[in-house]
Amino acid sequence: MSTLAQPALARSSHIDASNRGLSATGIVRSEWIKLRSLRSTWWSFSIIVLIQVSIAVLFALTTSPMATEPTTQQVTQAAVSISTLGVLFSQLVIAVLGVLVISGEYSTGQIRSSFMAVPNRLPVLAAKALVFAVATFVVALVAIVISYVVTMPILAGNGVDAAPLEPSLWLSFFGAAGYLVFIGLISLGIGAALRSTAGGIAASLGLLLVVPTIFQLIPAEWAGVVASWLPGTAGQSLYYTGSTFEPWQALLVMLGWVAVTLIPAAVLMKRRDA
Amino acid sequence: MIEAQSLTKRYGQRTAVDAATFTVRPGKVTGLLGPNGAGKSTTMRMIVGLDRPTSGSVRVNGHFYAEHSAPLHEVGALLDAKAIHSGRSAYNHLLALGATHGIGAARVREVIDLTGLQAVAGKRVGGFSLGMGQRLGIAAALLGDPQTLILDEPINGLDPEGVLWVRGLLKHLASEGRTVLLSSHLMSEMAMTADHIIVFGRGRVIADAPVADVVGQGAVTSVRVSSPQAAELARLLAAPDVQVTSASGSTLDVAGVSAATIGGIAASNGLVLHELTTVTGSLEEAYLRLTADEVEYHTQSVTPEVVR
Repeated sequence: MSTLAQPALARSSHIDASNRGLSATGIVRSEWIKLRSLRSTWWSFSIIVLIQVSIAVLFALTTSPMATEPTTQQVTQAAVSISTLGVLFSQLVIAVLGVLVISGEYSTGQIRSSFMAVPNRLPVLAAKALVFAVATFVVALVAIVISYVVTMPILAGNGVDAAPLEPSLWLSFFGAAGYLVFIGLISLGIGAALRSTAGGIAASLGLLLVVPTIFQLIPAEWAGVVASWLPGTAGQSLYYTGSTFEPWQALLVMLGWVAVTLIPAAVLMKRRDA
Repeated sequence: MIEAQSLTKRYGQRTAVDAATFTVRPGKVTGLLGPNGAGKSTTMRMIVGLDRPTSGSVRVNGHFYAEHSAPLHEVGALLDAKAIHSGRSAYNHLLALGATHGIGAARVREVIDLTGLQAVAGKRVGGFSLGMGQRLGIAAALLGDPQTLILDEPINGLDPEGVLWVRGLLKHLASEGRTVLLSSHLMSEMAMTADHIIVFGRGRVIADAPVADVVGQGAVTSVRVSSPQAAELARLLAAPDVQVTSASGSTLDVAGVSAATIGGIAASNGLVLHELTTVTGSLEEAYLRLTADEVEYHTQSVTPEVVR
């Protein structure tokens, strides 16, 4: 251990308490530092890019031309399918990361430091959600665009028509990246409400993997309706056309899910002892 | 300045803090002393708004903690040693904490230097020893250059050099006119560091006074006399306000009379004395006396029977 400085240094010259204090931008910056300074963030985001691109490449390699000349829409659909196929897998990684981002603070005691700095607490949750959403969106979009760029030559080599990078394609890519953001935010809400990593991951993965299966197994008609409103199902309408919902409807359903998980989490966060 | 008014915290049936009313004044090191489970940590958590009081209130520098526009400049707190994400480096932890208040890298480096963490600042906190964790906690508490410092068991796990440093630091901070509140269950530590002591027992404030007063109040000064004619001496010393207890056949513990008086009585009656010692009560004794009925977790003395 190196030597300790004289106590006189405790009074800082680097602080001007008169014009500094809590600020929204400061809290957002703090959450960004927190997110980027953990290995789990970089692991998760790397895995997402890796999964997205490799699944797209695998799929492209096995794609063969259609028997008949495809329509423009079919070409676009194919490009969207191939570029976003990995979302089905990377949503699991995002769900885990979404839980970890907040449950990690509770399990380590960090949350007490966070709440002492921001006693109102809710700005911590809001800033965390914002930073996590933006980071996830950027990473997901990058992964999808890389998938598209890498797979187009492969498809062309197979004699499959490649879709140009036009607005409708971009819209689907935004939708797929947005889908991952929503799944992440729902998981963040679950993690914040449960305050436990194991419980949060179990609940959010359960919502994505187990709950839809249960409803599909129930032979009643209402079960099918419920299943179509679940985030993992409804959210796919954000980027696949011809699904149950129009993209804007899917957007509302997903916003509803985020509200249903994040609002109770916020209320509990404000009320409970840390 | 910390002002608690009938501060109460109940967890279900258990009352952790029971109508505690006290004031922690600036310019002094105030010690929060009490056995485990006496309510010290709960009180500290309520001061910084982590736990919500069941009733009563506590204000820091005149306001509720959550009302401050720059909490880290008002209060710096070290609560549990590990209120830090184990996967983050010490530097990034402090940087993230400071960022909320616009405190930058320069001040972060300053508190790292101050607490002697230069060598490990880039390492992940998960690998820190208890002592390094404490130093990082102290660094975090000092980050905002706060007017009030609250430290829960700050010397836990520190090496002797670190203990001396913390003592010096706390005294220095108090001398700058800041409010310093630290908790400990170590009476000896309080005697060395604190100017003023608030003793907690089962959630209640059972003493709130300068260190010297607490020692005087709770401890008895007695005189130990050893004499072959102990029985006769005891008879001569007998008076309404004098207590004589016999430690062994030839040794007496006398309270209420000074050693000089006892010596005088012995000499004028021609009694032989082998020992005449004034025994001053320590803070430790005073504390044990004060908290004798307030200890939540009593240990049983190990008798041979139990051992067998």
